[in-house]
Amino acid sequence: MLFRRSLDSRRAAAARATPPGPLRDFLEVPIDDPRIDWLEGRYLAVDLELTGLDERTDEILSIGLIPVDGPALVHRGAEHLFVVPDGEVGQSAGIHGLTDDRLAAGLPLSEALPALLAALAGRTLVAHHAPVEVGFLSRACERLYGAPLLTRSIDTMALQRRVLRIASDDEVRPGVLRLQAARDHFGLPRYRAHEALTDAISAAELFLAQAAHLGGRTGITLKSLSS
Amino acid sequence: MVAELVEVQEFLVAHAPFEALPESVLRGLPPRLTTRYYRRDTEIVAAGSHNDEMFVLRSGAVEVRDPHGGLVDRYDTGRCFGWAALLSDGIAPFTLTAIEDSLVLVMPGEVFRELSRTQPMWSVFFQHSLSETMRMAVRAVHTADRGTTVLKTKVGDIIRRAPLWVTPATTIRSAAETMRDERVSSLLVMAEDELVGIMTDRDLRNRVVAEGRDIEQPVSAIMTADPISAPVESMAFELLLSMVAKNIHHMPVTDGGRVVGLVSSTDLMRLERANPVYIAGDIQKMTTVEQLAAVQPRVAEIVGQLVTEDATADDIGRVVTAIADAIERRLIELAEVRLGPPPGPYCWLTLGSAGRLEHGLSSDQDHALILNDETLAGPDGDAYADYLSELATFVSDGLAACGYRYCTAGLMATNPQMRQGLSRWLDTVARWVENPSDDTVHRVRSFFDLRPLHGDARLFEELQRAALAETADSMPFLGHLAAQATRTQPPIGFFRGFVLEKGGEHADTLDLKDRGVRLVVDLARVYALAGGLPQVNTQLRLTAVEGTGRLSAERIADLKDAFEFISYVRLRHQARQVRAGAEPDDFVPPDELSQFEKRHLRDAFQIVRQAQSVLTTAYPDQG
Repeated sequence: MLFRRSLDSRRAAAARATPPGPLRDFLEVPIDDPRIDWLEGRYLAVDLELTGLDERTDEILSIGLIPVDGPALVHRGAEHLFVVPDGEVGQSAGIHGLTDDRLAAGLPLSEALPALLAALAGRTLVAHHAPVEVGFLSRACERLYGAPLLTRSIDTMALQRRVLRIASDDEVRPGVLRLQAARDHFGLPRYRAHEALTDAISAAELFLAQAAHLGGRTGITLKSLSS
Repeated sequence: MVAELVEVQEFLVAHAPFEALPESVLRGLPPRLTTRYYRRDTEIVAAGSHNDEMFVLRSGAVEVRDPHGGLVDRYDTGRCFGWAALLSDGIAPFTLTAIEDSLVLVMPGEVFRELSRTQPMWSVFFQHSLSETMRMAVRAVHTADRGTTVLKTKVGDIIRRAPLWVTPATTIRSAAETMRDERVSSLLVMAEDELVGIMTDRDLRNRVVAEGRDIEQPVSAIMTADPISAPVESMAFELLLSMVAKNIHHMPVTDGGRVVGLVSSTDLMRLERANPVYIAGDIQKMTTVEQLAAVQPRVAEIVGQLVTEDATADDIGRVVTAIADAIERRLIELAEVRLGPPPGPYCWLTLGSAGRLEHGLSSDQDHALILNDETLAGPDGDAYADYLSELATFVSDGLAACGYRYCTAGLMATNPQMRQGLSRWLDTVARWVENPSDDTVHRVRSFFDLRPLHGDARLFEELQRAALAETADSMPFLGHLAAQATRTQPPIGFFRGFVLEKGGEHADTLDLKDRGVRLVVDLARVYALAGGLPQVNTQLRLTAVEGTGRLSAERIADLKDAFEFISYVRLRHQARQVRAGAEPDDFVPPDELSQFEKRHLRDAFQIVRQAQSVLTTAYPDQG
């Protein structure tokens, strides 16, 4: 309750301080009440492909997103946004198979970010290791609109710790919290592609499995799944 | 712009029926689906609930159970499920449960229907799957009521009437009068809803007559007090065993403490006597129409018993026909005894449902006579014709006395048109086929389901050969026949719109004969006559049609299953009526059907409807 008022009021205050534009529009839409059961919540699973993990220097290469309405992934709303980076494509090009050519067909971040914000409006962001996604997106908002991204998020990596009953300070066997390992735990299929949309879908499906597991027969509130 | 959902699309293209969709269509599908996750042991769809989605199992496992909880199937990755409701009335026939954590692609009903309309292979795939479901249903009804012989009969199933009872104060004389009037050998004695005793013929003999007791005394003086009773769920053989052990012949049957009937050892013995072989043997020895007429109730018993056992509708039809044949044949023999030896050879044909070996409990009589041309043309021609006219009348009236109603279309040997010399018969059939009219075709179509029952079978063979030569590929005639066969449609809307008989005695019921069984019979007849096939039994006709290539093997298999299912439901309805002491008919109130049966009837009706469309295309009405 306290959390909700705090996030809502912070978002309302930020909306007033933000000039008209995509971020302000986003901030003006209230996010689902955190006291509702997760099955009634609306989510947006997001995955970013990055040139590296340093928010200050690395850049977003692509954004994959898919809305999740309660227990269902809504394919129709899926988007795969390619972003034209400001600098050269970093060393991760080899990993992601991205080329300057393909990126040339992409959007500048100033066009990709509004699309993401529109899709996220009213929803809780879901990502595997969400702090990275939230951090990069918030940083991008600051650069483009002068204010951070205030959103509720759910981290499927943190949820997997709870599923596996691993205390936050416990030593973790390397790899058990990785996206594919977590999916294997629930018997979810293995996907071949390694790109932002597939990973967003992977995180979304994992989230459904985790929430169903943690909610059991009694259900679980959106708040108790949120970071 | 919608993103390309690579993984979903690649998954779909690897599984039927998606693999066969054009790429342009397939590409458009993933965005129209959703993905859902079901935890192990969660119900996806409950039997009997509304369902307007088809599911494709992405990972995990799903179990299918019928409404009785019986395991029907288990699905693994790539399997489509939940569509059965989309093909019928939107009510799920089975319960679908995730038995492992399962990821499922969900297709909205509107997308499914759009594909059914626009992609022929899509409908073919699911229609084929529908027929598999149909076969499961046929198996399911047969096992649901499974039982074998008397050993599996429940006492409740043999109680025929409400128990007769008197109060303890009733005089012995008055009780005996009741027994005489009701033609029973025992009475229950009840005091305020409670069973206090039983009085039997034997008590009248031993405790009244032999002891010279005053018949104005109350029955309480001679009754057996506190009789042993049996619960309605007991098995018949258990009852028989305890009756033998205690040397008693009557036992009250209770349901939750309330007396619901009285079973005698004779009732139990009759279970054994309801055997078609015994009955046919008995018929052979009968010498009067009255004796033959007494057989009918036993036929009803047999059907009731066969339905309770694991017999198919086809088997039951053959048994009932065999008994009807025996009666008809015996009547002909009795006629010959009465009229003297026939002046010349003749052949008695049985037509319609009897001809097809599909006699039911509510069938009428259809027959014809072929006379010998030489005898007719000879000096005794007139006497010969008169003789057979009398014979026909005797047999037809006899059949009516035995419960086989007169044919309203006049397909009886008593009708001069149905009693002709072979050459005139050939002319008649040629005229029917060459100059068909709706009226004639409607009236005489059952003639083509002919079978020799008595007399010179060579007359039949010649007539059938000629008739089939006429009908084979004879377009105008077949067009009329096809039009007849498709004029009435199965009640597809039944259950959603409740397409039932409107008004009259059978208001709000489902006519399983005219709007069910008969439609398949008519379809099979068109194809058989078109192919010049000699078979008359509907199942055999359908099998033979397969060889002609006029219908696909799959459609034929579907039709046979549909025919069997509808026939079975109809027979069971009739068996229930007989058990309840009612006249058997073809009008089934929907309440009598389980959800399961309703759904599969709809499936069966759908199969019949599709076959009708195919027929209409193949044999357009040219009239």
